[in-house]
Amino acid sequence: MARLNDDAQWIVLMGFMVSFSLFFLGIVINQSTVVGQTTAEGVLEFPKNDIMNVRSVVLQSSGISVPADLDNVRKDISSIAMARKNAVVSFRVTDAPPGLTYTKIIDIHYNNGVTAYNETTNN
Amino acid sequence: MVMHKIRERDEQGISESIGFMLIFTLIIVGIGLVTLYGYPLLLEQQVNADTRIMEKNMIVIQNDIKSLTYKSVPYKETSLKIGGGMLTVYNTTANPTPSFIISDLNGPIAVFNPGQLQYESVSAQQVIAIENGAVITRPIYQPGSVMLAEPRWFSDTDPITSKTTTVIYLIGINSTDILSRTGVGTVQMQLQQDMTNYTEVSAPSNPIIVTYTPDPANDFSDAWRNYITISLNWVETAPNTYQLPTSDTLIIKKYDIMVKGL
Repeated sequence: MARLNDDAQWIVLMGFMVSFSLFFLGIVINQSTVVGQTTAEGVLEFPKNDIMNVRSVVLQSSGISVPADLDNVRKDISSIAMARKNAVVSFRVTDAPPGLTYTKIIDIHYNNGVTAYNETTNN
Repeated sequence: MVMHKIRERDEQGISESIGFMLIFTLIIVGIGLVTLYGYPLLLEQQVNADTRIMEKNMIVIQNDIKSLTYKSVPYKETSLKIGGGMLTVYNTTANPTPSFIISDLNGPIAVFNPGQLQYESVSAQQVIAIENGAVITRPIYQPGSVMLAEPRWFSDTDPITSKTTTVIYLIGINSTDILSRTGVGTVQMQLQQDMTNYTEVSAPSNPIIVTYTPDPANDFSDAWRNYITISLNWVETAPNTYQLPTSDTLIIKKYDIMVKGL
């Protein structure tokens, strides 16, 4: 009579192990797409370039010494920021107290509904 | 003389027909159980998966709309699979009932019909819609609705000048005809520059009121109420009528998105 041949039990075992590892791999891949999507959305949402643009244009215009001109520039910057970038932008330029290395103190405010940014800098 | 008895395998209790019957019965019972319990479970899983996928798809479309509106991208398209239901565009004229009216003491400033991009799953008994930039879901035969992704209305108090600016976005979904699609499709959307406008009321006579009139057949008022009263902290003065915080500037940005094809 033919004896039961159990020399190759490891093939069955390997089959089980491969299928279980595929299962876990599937779970990991599934999770990774979720993580990638939300991270990418977070990066896309952050208005880094908008803030940098606003900041540079505010620092440029802080040198205007006539108050009425500065006021007009402020209004222009605010309405362009609202129309193009959907952000509320405002800034204030004040003279620094005497005896310091800088002459102006500049407050910048930016808010697009998701990200709010406030800065006090000097020039 | 010693008799050597050879032990043989005892096969007296084995009958091939009974063995056959046993295995046959096991298989039939197995198939029966799978058909009775397993298959409906699989179908339900499929319906659930379809709805979940559509929820994600709608959020992807909302992100496209955000790019079209807030980031001034002229055109966007997304391929998606619409399973278990139908995606339909109801344009602003076909479905005029839901409306947003923004007014101050001097009278209405903006009257707006948002239109809708709506997915309706009959098997899951659920509706997922994009209305005025928000992704909202509701059960078909029961009251109530939930906002899955919020629009971007906000109220900003400037720390420099202490002035409050309130920004409201009105995002309409338009099409030349009523479009609908099931299966694999491509949502093609374009921003209509000529119908996009920007209203700035620099000194509104407060209080400013937003009134939402729901479509009775497709009522999303609970979702809007939760968004406005909980997320934005604005006050509901009468049903579906909300009072904005006292603002020095009110900005209403109106966009119109043309769905070119599904």
